[in-house]
Amino acid sequence: MDSFLSLKGIEKRFGAYVAVHDINLDIAQGEFVAIMGPSGCGKTTTLRIIAGLEQPSAGEIRMRGEPVTNRKPWERDSPLVWQSLALFPFLSVRKNVEFGLKMRRVPAAERRRRAMHWLERLGIAEFAERDVSQLSGGQRQRVALARALVTEPEILLLDEPLSALDAHLVVRMQAELTRLHRELGITFLYVTHSQSEAFAMASRVVIMNRGAIEQVGPAKQVYRQPASRFVAEFVGTNNILGGRVERVADGHAVVATPVGPLRAALRPEQRPAAGDPVHYVVSADSITLSAGANGEADNVVEATMVSEQFVGSVVTVYAETAGGEEFRVQASQNELAGIDLVPGGALHLTWRAESAYLLPSG
Amino acid sequence: MTGERAVRAALWLYVLAVFAFILAPIATSFVVSFNVDRFPTLPLGGFSLRWYEDMMGDPTVLPAFRNTIIAGVTVAVISTFLGFTAAYTDYRYRFFGKSVYLALALLPPTIPVIILGLAMLIFLSRVSLFGQLHSVIIAHVVICLPFAMALIRLRLSQMDPSLEAAAWNLGAGEWRTMRGVILPFTMPAILSALFITMAVSFDEYAIAWFVSGFSETLPVRILAMLQGRVSPRINAIGSIVFTISITLVILAQVILLLRLPSRGQTDDG
Amino acid sequence: MPRILHPEMPTATVDREAADAPAARRARPDLFAWVMGLAMPVWQALFFVAPLGFLVVMSFWVVENFRLVPGVSTVNWVELLSARYFWEIYLRTLWYGLLGAGLASVLAFPCAYMLAFHARRRWRWFAVFLLITPFFTSYLVRTYTWKVLLTDNGFINAALDLVGLGPFSMVNNLFGTMVGYLTLVLPLVVLLQLFSLANVDRNLVEAAHNLGCGALKTIFIVVIPAAKIGLILAGAFAFILAFGDYVSPTFLGGGRPPTLSILMVDVVKSGANWPQGAVVAVTMIVTLFVVCFAAIAWAYGGGGRKA
Repeated sequence: MDSFLSLKGIEKRFGAYVAVHDINLDIAQGEFVAIMGPSGCGKTTTLRIIAGLEQPSAGEIRMRGEPVTNRKPWERDSPLVWQSLALFPFLSVRKNVEFGLKMRRVPAAERRRRAMHWLERLGIAEFAERDVSQLSGGQRQRVALARALVTEPEILLLDEPLSALDAHLVVRMQAELTRLHRELGITFLYVTHSQSEAFAMASRVVIMNRGAIEQVGPAKQVYRQPASRFVAEFVGTNNILGGRVERVADGHAVVATPVGPLRAALRPEQRPAAGDPVHYVVSADSITLSAGANGEADNVVEATMVSEQFVGSVVTVYAETAGGEEFRVQASQNELAGIDLVPGGALHLTWRAESAYLLPSG
Repeated sequence: MTGERAVRAALWLYVLAVFAFILAPIATSFVVSFNVDRFPTLPLGGFSLRWYEDMMGDPTVLPAFRNTIIAGVTVAVISTFLGFTAAYTDYRYRFFGKSVYLALALLPPTIPVIILGLAMLIFLSRVSLFGQLHSVIIAHVVICLPFAMALIRLRLSQMDPSLEAAAWNLGAGEWRTMRGVILPFTMPAILSALFITMAVSFDEYAIAWFVSGFSETLPVRILAMLQGRVSPRINAIGSIVFTISITLVILAQVILLLRLPSRGQTDDG
Repeated sequence: MPRILHPEMPTATVDREAADAPAARRARPDLFAWVMGLAMPVWQALFFVAPLGFLVVMSFWVVENFRLVPGVSTVNWVELLSARYFWEIYLRTLWYGLLGAGLASVLAFPCAYMLAFHARRRWRWFAVFLLITPFFTSYLVRTYTWKVLLTDNGFINAALDLVGLGPFSMVNNLFGTMVGYLTLVLPLVVLLQLFSLANVDRNLVEAAHNLGCGALKTIFIVVIPAAKIGLILAGAFAFILAFGDYVSPTFLGGGRPPTLSILMVDVVKSGANWPQGAVVAVTMIVTLFVVCFAAIAWAYGGGGRKA
């Protein structure tokens, strides 16, 4: 597969500070890839390097097989939707959108036609002659999108474009972006620190931490099978316990943890030996809560409830074991309907071995 | 508590007094210029235009006035241009010796004008650039560009840093971006800089006194008058100059206000 | 070769890496960068630095037989620095400058304070506008107008006479000079003080009140230290202007006893002795540098450090 955009060995240093290193990424045509990570992980730097706004200290970038590493930003065709939107305040909405076309010396009538087409497509044609400052946040967002897409690029870069929007608008814009991506079939490269955005829209997710790529893969896979402790902590809601392998049998391992021996299923390629230090991971939504003993289960932990939190219809219950280990359990309100959740009350946490997995420690 | 109110009231009166002090000479100057007495006192003499006529009749005034205008406009353009480049360079680039760079641009106001005048006199006469209007222009640009730079730099710091990069990202090269993004955005500051530098040059007497030789500017004439036959002629000149300066400033504000709504329809090329 | 800085900071959330990002390396030097970068320094080097440098050089030249003789001679330096009258003039000018700056700072403060803390926005803008107006008038004309107002038969004495006071001698003396200095610097000092007082965090003032500190005490203990830098710099500017001013001591102060500026002009215009004028000028510059450094050290240093 010839990738559309490929980064090899990209490194960027600012003096002694290494912003990103060892970045290798291949992105196929038409993919929606999200680059995610905490503040300072290097995701924005990587995006800027792709756009040509930073020159990498080492490594090379190819687009459609051609090396573009040394091309100036205005020589590339990778429009960016900025976090601050960067709309030109002294131009009308339409002229903002026409800007890229004007740089390509498209004649005025044609520019106008194409700009209006995009404004209509994004539902803001009525604001064409208005001042940018007169538009709402969501409307400005669309202007930024139109401006980037009007030149019909093959790749669209987005730098946390939804971070300045109100929560209810974010959901709507996410749907719009997904729809646009489907309709246009071009490559979207989306940088964000928000899990929900990344997993809602992207087909492939890149997790970055401290300047390096921790994991790349299809969204579901990264979510369900984090490859490292960092990713397990950063993505989803996981409970992570440190422990040592007691014994291995039958594709399962029994791990000695602070809350007792726990069973986890092993992936085919995992072959831990007894005595190996490991991280034992079970996601919060794999755990079943009950007030009393609940029949046979692979893993059982007794805990007392600390508190609960509602986000929409999902409840997160915080529980603490006698030894002080904290567990988080997520379930829908319906599932928890029969249980009396009282702070300080006793809870029974159970899960199947298949729901848990091991990650190497150290 | 009436004590506190009394203190407040007294303080506001004080503020009024300070403003009275600052504005008194300006207002009085107008009054004096229309007053018939040569040495005004109370009670005021009658209204008269004689000093304005006197001023117009003085053969040295009009040429000096012309010189002042020519110098002012030229100084405004050059110093705003230099100030702009300095402000942009400070905004965009980081390099070794930047503090020296900034010092070069911002130090002139800290040197007393008569010292600068003497230094320019000595230097320009050694390089044969002395005694002409361009001597005044050269020297004035030196002291005016700090104002231009400060004004434009302030405006640049209000610009979304991504704006310039957004233009690059959309295919505009550096010169094109300068023309299409930076200049339009900083235009209010550029206009202000033009008018302020012109105003500074208008009133600058010390340096002009030293270097203008026979191409005297108006302030130099005023200085000569102060040393010779004093009369409200001086106030007449002052009133005219003030009126012109204020008109320019108001014009600048008006132009800026008018430009704003039509920002989107400027050019269609 | 300049490295290019992109001061890009996402305005919404803080992205630390972008905030840390200082430079992008360019492979080749940029014509654009050089044109932008060199315009101002070239001009200033030629017409600001060179003349001042040459001024220092000139102070070591001599005038013989009405002609300038280049060289390195300390004659003028020795002559001037060992002259008693020079030091009298020097100390007087220093004193005048400090007095002028001090008066301006103290007189401006209550006004700036009221405007910054107790004036509504509209009024403050109007006040600023009024304070800027003097910059568009001729300082010379204003000085002359004060003379007209202050002379023995002028407006003010005539008005005082109506109530049986005076006449007071207000020109051709120190009072006149100070009035002139204030005319020159007061608007600027009020503006600078106003600006720096307006930037004092209101929460600090409220916290002080909340902890039992009275209004006046808060001003001295909280507001002034918080605005320290701006207040000191305003005073420093006032000093620079007053110290070097020629017009006020001449036309409102009577010209006698002279200040350094008057001495310099006299030596150059009447005596045609550029080297001696240069000596006076260089002495003034050095003094100003020292005072400025002291002011900056005081402003930015810890409390208690004196010039």
